[in-house]
Amino acid sequence: MTDSDASDPRPRDKAANSGPAIEVEGLKVHFRTSAGLVRAVDGVDLAVQNGAFHGIVGESGCGKTTLARAIVGLQSATAGHVRILGRDRADWQRANRKGFARSVQFIFQDPLGSMSRRQSVLQTLEEPLRIHGIGNAAARRRKVGELLDLVSLPASVLDRLPRSLSGGQRQRVSIARALALDPRVLLCDEPLSALDVSVRAQIVNLFARLQDQLGLTIVIVAHDLAIVREVCSAVTVMYLGRVAEEGAARPFFADPTHPYSQALLSAVPSPDPRVEATRVPVLLEGDPPSPLNPPAGCRFSTRCPVVIEACRVTEPQLRAVQHGGRSACHLADTSGHPIL
Amino acid sequence: MRFARLPWLVLTPALIFVFVGVFAPLLMTHDPAVQDYTAILQGPSTAHWLGTDYLGRDLWSRIVGGARTSLVAMAFVLVAALVIGVVIGSVAGYVGGLVETVLISLIDIALALPSLVIALALMGVFSGENFDWLSDYWKMVLALTLAWWANYARMSRAVVVAELQQPYIEAARVMGASHLWIFTRHILPHVLGLVVVYASADAGALVLAIATLSFLGLGVAPPTPEWGQMLVDGMSYIEEYPNLVIIPGLALTAVVVSFNLLGEAFALQKVPRALRGRLLGRKRAERKAEDQARVSVEGQA
Repeated sequence: MTDSDASDPRPRDKAANSGPAIEVEGLKVHFRTSAGLVRAVDGVDLAVQNGAFHGIVGESGCGKTTLARAIVGLQSATAGHVRILGRDRADWQRANRKGFARSVQFIFQDPLGSMSRRQSVLQTLEEPLRIHGIGNAAARRRKVGELLDLVSLPASVLDRLPRSLSGGQRQRVSIARALALDPRVLLCDEPLSALDVSVRAQIVNLFARLQDQLGLTIVIVAHDLAIVREVCSAVTVMYLGRVAEEGAARPFFADPTHPYSQALLSAVPSPDPRVEATRVPVLLEGDPPSPLNPPAGCRFSTRCPVVIEACRVTEPQLRAVQHGGRSACHLADTSGHPIL
Repeated sequence: MRFARLPWLVLTPALIFVFVGVFAPLLMTHDPAVQDYTAILQGPSTAHWLGTDYLGRDLWSRIVGGARTSLVAMAFVLVAALVIGVVIGSVAGYVGGLVETVLISLIDIALALPSLVIALALMGVFSGENFDWLSDYWKMVLALTLAWWANYARMSRAVVVAELQQPYIEAARVMGASHLWIFTRHILPHVLGLVVVYASADAGALVLAIATLSFLGLGVAPPTPEWGQMLVDGMSYIEEYPNLVIIPGLALTAVVVSFNLLGEAFALQKVPRALRGRLLGRKRAERKAEDQARVSVEGQA
């Protein structure tokens, strides 16, 4: 596979552009199951700046996928509001589903499953255009050609079925399909986890290039911090349905303040041998507690190495910390924070 | 689609049946309803290839005409049952909730009773005065349709529910597709793919049901040629002129067996191939080896 996006993948810092593209306020998504109420997302506030490349990270089961799905309305929220591009998402979708789809698109974790197994790549890429009645056959064909160029796929894939493509090609097709309607906001639910490690870098670079080229706002859900560090301009760390820490990428990665963020980061190998030599992985004990029954006080208190008495009693709220972002830790504020 | 282990030969009767049914007017040498009292109960001859029955009607023409009667009735019933089944099953599967519960109960009730029993009961209902405007033939088609749709509804619902769980449906929603778009472009093709295949295999049972109803005097009224009726007519003469029973009986048997084998072939397609041949053989060999081992152990003890 050829790749023209070998240039510096780090996007320009566009985070300051004209207000937030996505605002999430007190979002809760609870699932009623036979075992009880699962609080997958339990009161999340989030702001994604226009033109940002925003990473949402956390362990499996921390609610990051549910959050992304709830933002685009694939999952109905129990409480809270989502505003996208300044409009209430629920109202917008109710009033004009197609208009919403033209502005906000979603990329699924499993590219193969997200495409009909009986449709060729051409049909898959044409479908959004047909749904929206955009262009005649020739115009659609032209648009499909442009999309292929955008994601660096050869025209020879057009007649093939999704299952006969490689993993990287599949994800490129699903990205191309999401871009067919020229959206302004793109949410990606773990778009890399179904891919080989060797292909991930290519897709990451593709995302970065697309963001640069098209001025998209991209939200990427990932559990791979290395990738988020590579490309994102802003980061939100989630733990057990809540935001643990958030901030601009560079300062956050330089000096994370939440013990959970620090533990997560310490698990990521660094490409810099000097840094790598001093890296001490912090091992968290046990699994995250069940979202069926979150612990009282700070949700991280059951595994936190620097836990104090207050942590088990009161739940810390997000507050400003040294790196300019916010952290939900009793021990972290603008004057200092724990260091593991 | 490939038919492993199914000799194409067994499909010949079904194919001949369809061919004869379609081209019946061209193949009949006589009017199958015309009685000729100068030629009663004759054996095969150049004038009457298969002989004549007790009213002097040409047996060949009646067999051919009977094929057409069955084929047309079968086609009506299959198409109608399929449409009703697909609509009910799809609505149940797509809408869900209370609608689904109600429709599933309906389907289950319909499936709990043998189709032929339902058809017979409905024929009884239709014999009332309120249904005089309906000819016996259409009463039969209607009764069989109402007895036959449930299987298609059950299958359609299963396919709809399974497809709806596929992530690509969600992807289509995200792209702004309407429910109608998703149903017609993505789900219906899957439903029809399965149901049409099943219907072609179900044809045998339907041919037999039509013949059965006519045999009982409930279906096609004379003088329309029909195999089940020919069997009844021929029964009185079975000792002297057995071909009056044997010929329509053979025709019916061959067609039904042929369609049933087709159905079996479709059913086998669903089984992973390895399980059919080699794996079964290996399982059998393993069991044999175990048995032998046990025997030898017991022998030592």
